[in-house]
Amino acid sequence: MSGMKDGVDIARAALAALKAAGADKAAAGFSRGEQSELNVDAGKMSLYRSTVNVSVSVTAYVGGRKGSVSVNRYDDAAIRGAAEEAVAMARSSEPDPANDISPRRPLERFAFGPAEPDSAAMYERLREFVDYASSRYPDTRLEQCILNFAAGESSYANSNGAEFQERSGSYGFQAMFTTKKGEKASSFNYSGASHRGLALPLKDWGNVDLLMRQSTEQLEPGGVGGSFQGELVIAPDCLGDFISYLDGTYLGDYALITGSSPWKDKLGQKVVSPLFSLRSLPAGPGVEIGYSYTGDGFRAENCDLIDAGVLKNFTLGFYGSNKTGKPRCPSGGGALAVDAGVTALDDMIRDVKRGLLLMRFSGGSPSDNGDFSGVAKNSYLIEDGKIARPVGETMIAGNVASLFSSIRAVSRELVDYGSAVCPWALTGPVTISGK
Amino acid sequence: MKPDDIRRYAALFSEYTELRAQENRSSRISVLNGDVVGNASGSQAGLSARSYKDGVWGFASSPEPGDEAVAAMVAKAGANVRFLASVEGRGSGVLPRRPGRSDHDLSAKKPRRGRKELIDFARDVDAYCVKRFPGLLSRSVGLSTLDMEKALVTSDGGEAYSLIPRALVAVSLTVEEAGEPIDLYDIFGGRGQFEDVFDTPEALYPQLDLLIERLKEKAKGAYAKPGTHEVILDSDLAGILAHEAIGHTVEADLVLGGSVAADYMGREVASPLVTLVDFAHSALGETCPVPLWTDDEGTEGRDAVLIEKGVLRSYMHNKETAAHFGAEPTGNARAFGFYDEPLVRMRNTAILPGSSKLADMIASVDDGYYFLRSSNGQADSTSEFMFGVVMGYEIKGGRLGRAVRDCTISGVAFDMLKTIDMLSDDMSWTAAGMCGKKQSIPVGMGGPAVKCRINVGGRS
Repeated sequence: MSGMKDGVDIARAALAALKAAGADKAAAGFSRGEQSELNVDAGKMSLYRSTVNVSVSVTAYVGGRKGSVSVNRYDDAAIRGAAEEAVAMARSSEPDPANDISPRRPLERFAFGPAEPDSAAMYERLREFVDYASSRYPDTRLEQCILNFAAGESSYANSNGAEFQERSGSYGFQAMFTTKKGEKASSFNYSGASHRGLALPLKDWGNVDLLMRQSTEQLEPGGVGGSFQGELVIAPDCLGDFISYLDGTYLGDYALITGSSPWKDKLGQKVVSPLFSLRSLPAGPGVEIGYSYTGDGFRAENCDLIDAGVLKNFTLGFYGSNKTGKPRCPSGGGALAVDAGVTALDDMIRDVKRGLLLMRFSGGSPSDNGDFSGVAKNSYLIEDGKIARPVGETMIAGNVASLFSSIRAVSRELVDYGSAVCPWALTGPVTISGK
Repeated sequence: MKPDDIRRYAALFSEYTELRAQENRSSRISVLNGDVVGNASGSQAGLSARSYKDGVWGFASSPEPGDEAVAAMVAKAGANVRFLASVEGRGSGVLPRRPGRSDHDLSAKKPRRGRKELIDFARDVDAYCVKRFPGLLSRSVGLSTLDMEKALVTSDGGEAYSLIPRALVAVSLTVEEAGEPIDLYDIFGGRGQFEDVFDTPEALYPQLDLLIERLKEKAKGAYAKPGTHEVILDSDLAGILAHEAIGHTVEADLVLGGSVAADYMGREVASPLVTLVDFAHSALGETCPVPLWTDDEGTEGRDAVLIEKGVLRSYMHNKETAAHFGAEPTGNARAFGFYDEPLVRMRNTAILPGSSKLADMIASVDDGYYFLRSSNGQADSTSEFMFGVVMGYEIKGGRLGRAVRDCTISGVAFDMLKTIDMLSDDMSWTAAGMCGKKQSIPVGMGGPAVKCRINVGGRS
């Protein structure tokens, strides 16, 4: 895509088109990206995929009314057409004083990671992983593995004069696998990560190697013997799922605008265990793959969401902040890192009388009150401080806020997913039920 | 864009190749507590080429139209497959063929509604909910539409054009009960553009009345008791059962990846009452929610009878898995965007109706549950499944009792299917489903009410 116009210039041209069409405030974004991807299916390298795409997104504000259009063409006619449509859509909408754009900020440009893939190294790393998996875990099948490199630039401009541009390149790897021996099969499991380079073997990305080893142990899961109140040692992959529930139910725009968040009046108060700290670190360095600006046109700044159990920030965007009168999240709410604790994982397990080592959670979306329930997948029964056996057909139920309030140990071990960092956590009790 | 517009590029093919031109047009209006918080539309248009050689694939896509850009893209797909074949090639890789030739435009013939009319529609629905239930803590109304337009030419003779639209209205309501928010949602609509699917907001009022009444019952409801219970799954849950719990395990690529269904072909996997079909485009005399006459590999779509009277009869195939298993391709290769490669995907997956009346089914349960609406579902290679349930009732002594709060149900499909002892004599489709296997794509799911034994999880 060399020789193309600068993305900021395209965003500025879109702003001019929005103003010419009648917008009194406007915001525009332009992105273009290229992706190279190698796929493994059923244990065999199967597909080499190259994609190119662009996006122009324009938002018009007319008298507090808003309309947005995105297209993947950026010639003058396409930009003009999108701008006129956005203005017409805004005029059809209803005014809302919370609709606004970020204040002026002189253009800042950011660049992270490589601009081009190392295609030979990608193939070699993936070949090495397939060979490792087949020799180390011969009964484990790689259902699907994807190694990709994505590079591109994104630019933002609004009519107040806020402008950003970011160029970024990174590799992503996801492996999904199951173990099958005769007619017995384990539950599938998966892990992966994103990194700027290919220095590490793929088996060491995220929790891939540990989960593959565990998969070989899970061909004959047992039961838990009925229903009981037990503790959970939650794996980092799985803790990330519960953090996303925490965000959606207690911290995010929807929960706060609708007023359903049980924490809507608890900013600055203790909401969970003092052992739990959750940071949003888009500017690094604690999280490798961050971002430089937010979707609503602010410089992304690191911030604490929860510090030693105290609620420091919601994850409200600019609109949500204007709507609720509560502070905007300075980070945009991504690139999450949970602080390591002081307890070794083995000691956490030793401290459990009866409960589960929860490796994956397959659950329904939590209710607005935070209640959740679902199936403990790829998990183990812990009895008297020891891992007793893998379990199947086992369900857990509890409340998201209670789960984080009851944390009584956080591991000193961390798993680095590139775009997030997470430890293990010991919490409970929750309801555990099964055969 | 029609096949006529891209056929000339077939001269550029050097290997087995599929060339697809596609545009997805989407629109969304969101009203939250009466405010229009979302008012957006978008388009993603472009072309892709996929080539096959010696058992491996090369793919390339670009948003750029024009002869030069298309030629470069076709060449890139060819270069990708030749590179991968040179290092990973696995023999001749001959693909079976059953070329489809079809042309289906399901766009509305009525005058299209303007943006303001659509926003007013959503605000009317919102206002009606407030009027009927002034005590609501919050409400959300979302209008969403998606038009998928595709033109396809393949080197083995497949040619197809389709424009398949979908229009949905989602309503989510929350009430506060004893200081806790209790929510319930429903989704209306399905195949077709908005004008063909929805008439006036007033036509939705009876369904909104039902949603509000159920939310009131749920707010006063009880928690389901954890454990294994006799339950009746209404058609919404029967559809997700067909799709998640069974359908995914018999997608041939997942069978190759380790699904337990690999060992079950020709064996009894369900009650003899159960026949389960993945319909291509028509079922029981009607066009399906997500009709597919020719798939994205250019194969004519045919129904895949997966389970017939309890016996596993077929997997769902693309060309490559059909070749592997020595079967006919079923036309299940589907891609969501122009930048996506076709995968083995379900189309319209349903359990066929039985002969029982729902009232008799409820009357036959002494102590159990009647579950009506799911939130989400997940499946596993072992056929163990999980569905979130957001609406249901206790059944006590053959009669419906209190509503129940949110819970989760689970089981091992190929065990649970054998416990089915009644199916209702009617069925309905869920036309709002999105399946998330690598790419998210619309699917149809359907079924009758199903009586079975299942694990229930939740706060006791």
